[in-house]
Amino acid sequence: MNRTRTLALVLTLFSAPTLAHGQESARDIIDRVDRIMRGESSYGVATMDVVTENWERSMSMEVWSLGTDYSLIRITAPNKEAGTATLKAGDDIWNYLPRVDRSIKIPASLMMGAWMGSHFTNDDLVKESRLVEDYDIEIDFEGERDGAEVWEFVLTPKPEAAVVWGRITYEVRKDDLMPVWARYYDEDDTLVRTMTFSDYRVMGGRLVPAAMDMLPEDKPGERTSIRYSEVDFDIEIDESFFSLRSLRSRR
Amino acid sequence: MASGPWWRIGWRNIGRNRRRTLITAAGLAFGYLAVVVLIGLMDGLTAEMIESGTGVLSGQLQVHDVEYRPERKIYDTIGGRDGADVERLVREIAADPVVEAAAPRVFAGGLVSSGESTVAGILMGVDPELEAEVSSLMNGMVRGRAPAAATNEILIGTEMARQLEVDVGDELILVAPAADGSMGNDLYTVSGVYQSGMAELDGSYAVVPIGTLQILVALDPGRIHEIAATVTDPWMAPEAADRLTAGLSPLGLEVEVAAWTELRPEMLDYAQLADGWRFVVIFIVFAIAIFGVANTMLMATYERRREIAVMLALGTTPFSIVRSVLSEAVALGILSLAFGAAITFPVMFWFHNAPPDLSWIYGDYTIFGALIRPRLRVEYNFAMALWTGVALLITALVASLYPAARAARVPPADTLSGL
Repeated sequence: MNRTRTLALVLTLFSAPTLAHGQESARDIIDRVDRIMRGESSYGVATMDVVTENWERSMSMEVWSLGTDYSLIRITAPNKEAGTATLKAGDDIWNYLPRVDRSIKIPASLMMGAWMGSHFTNDDLVKESRLVEDYDIEIDFEGERDGAEVWEFVLTPKPEAAVVWGRITYEVRKDDLMPVWARYYDEDDTLVRTMTFSDYRVMGGRLVPAAMDMLPEDKPGERTSIRYSEVDFDIEIDESFFSLRSLRSRR
Repeated sequence: MASGPWWRIGWRNIGRNRRRTLITAAGLAFGYLAVVVLIGLMDGLTAEMIESGTGVLSGQLQVHDVEYRPERKIYDTIGGRDGADVERLVREIAADPVVEAAAPRVFAGGLVSSGESTVAGILMGVDPELEAEVSSLMNGMVRGRAPAAATNEILIGTEMARQLEVDVGDELILVAPAADGSMGNDLYTVSGVYQSGMAELDGSYAVVPIGTLQILVALDPGRIHEIAATVTDPWMAPEAADRLTAGLSPLGLEVEVAAWTELRPEMLDYAQLADGWRFVVIFIVFAIAIFGVANTMLMATYERRREIAVMLALGTTPFSIVRSVLSEAVALGILSLAFGAAITFPVMFWFHNAPPDLSWIYGDYTIFGALIRPRLRVEYNFAMALWTGVALLITALVASLYPAARAARVPPADTLSGL
């Protein structure tokens, strides 16, 4: 009894300073932002508009995710692409092509390739939820911007991390932990692309940004916009859902 | 002719110590052989590089839309978005007097996958019949055959076949971003496996019939990216490019006709550098020869000091002595040149017509992405053979200037009195 109390006291003493400051480390904040956006599992319905110099197109899709390791995206429109699906399981990405009824594995060397002709890369699908693992995170700015209290984080890759960016800056609103934008720099510290978040609204019981826009720096005027029309969190789903067999069978 | 006797004396003098003359002449003759054959080999290497570098894939002439290079976007087809009358264009290009053959091409970047393994590839759509006359890729088949027109057949390189673990008859999936933004994908059967010898090429270029690729990437039949052509002599390509640019302008297309010299400037640079090196080779070889000849002439004149002293004592002018020595040197040069030509031309003829194969020592290698076979191939270069002959005579002449000057200053009285 006595020992337990001592232990409790020691624990309290050790953890007290952190609590007292009421401040989390930059890493913890990013981790929390990630968790809000992702949940344990999720389901969403979205449309993706891609605008390039040469064409514009719109695709509708359903997205499932489980933890950080599994996600499945299935195109539902237009007809030409309906049924096309992308499965992410761990580090692997598979594309299912209904027209030929085959799944192809995307090799590591092609992770920077465009996903479905958009300005997102395959790498974005794999690495999206790994920020806290792959990067050292520091707060670069804290204060008011555009009428809102925000943090600006600088994410620098850990020496051993296999990532493509030289630096990422990330702005998050303080009051509701909503991301505002993320800027991606290459190894020469040149801005390569900007992702902006907007249309914050409650979906699936959480406040989330319903709109995301990816703007490539080298192609002015081009963009990929994703709009979520429906999001559900912590749905009943398990790992078997994210298998090659199910990728193929549910056409 | 006043110089008559000095020429005769010079010519006869080279016969006085035949063994020494022969050795010196042999030295100069081998110098000549070395220079001419070395220049021939350098020219042969350059020719091999250009032939191989342009013959495998690029051709010596390429016609594109003006916007196409260097980004090579799928949208920038000849004639813009409306395309062009491809058949007529190919016919017009093939009609140029130096063009041997022309073939239309469509390019796209995409994924080539066997399912489990996927590689990024450059998909090239070709007219199988026309293409066979332009690029050696279509003839470098290790297994199988070229894809037949209007089928879903695909030809891949050995390296890609290895990476994907497929062979003739197996199925491949192509996925390529199409011109309309969609993801084109379809199934193909491997009809053949080629080997160009260049791992980069063998691992990245996949060849399908032109119409098949146009369907995959949503391009109309009139939309192609390139017309590649071969010409009879690579060095006539720039001229033909200019002629075609003028000839095609009435069609109202904004095209660019580029010769290999423009497409592969590094090859042109190399060829020009090799040209410059010819004179360095001549200089090095004959600079060494000069000392050998000078030594011989010095010996020859030293041996004849008494004779020269007698000539001077009898009233011969020192200048005439100089002339006789120089004449001797030129005579030696001419003899060496005749000897050199006699041994050089058979070697050149042999190396040109049946280049010795050194593949038992070296494997194939590449220069600027051009595959070079390890052969002693020489190209004839008569202008350089002539220049080398002139260089040989100048060498003989320059080498004997000092001995001649020494000979002219022989003191007659002292020499004759045995001092």
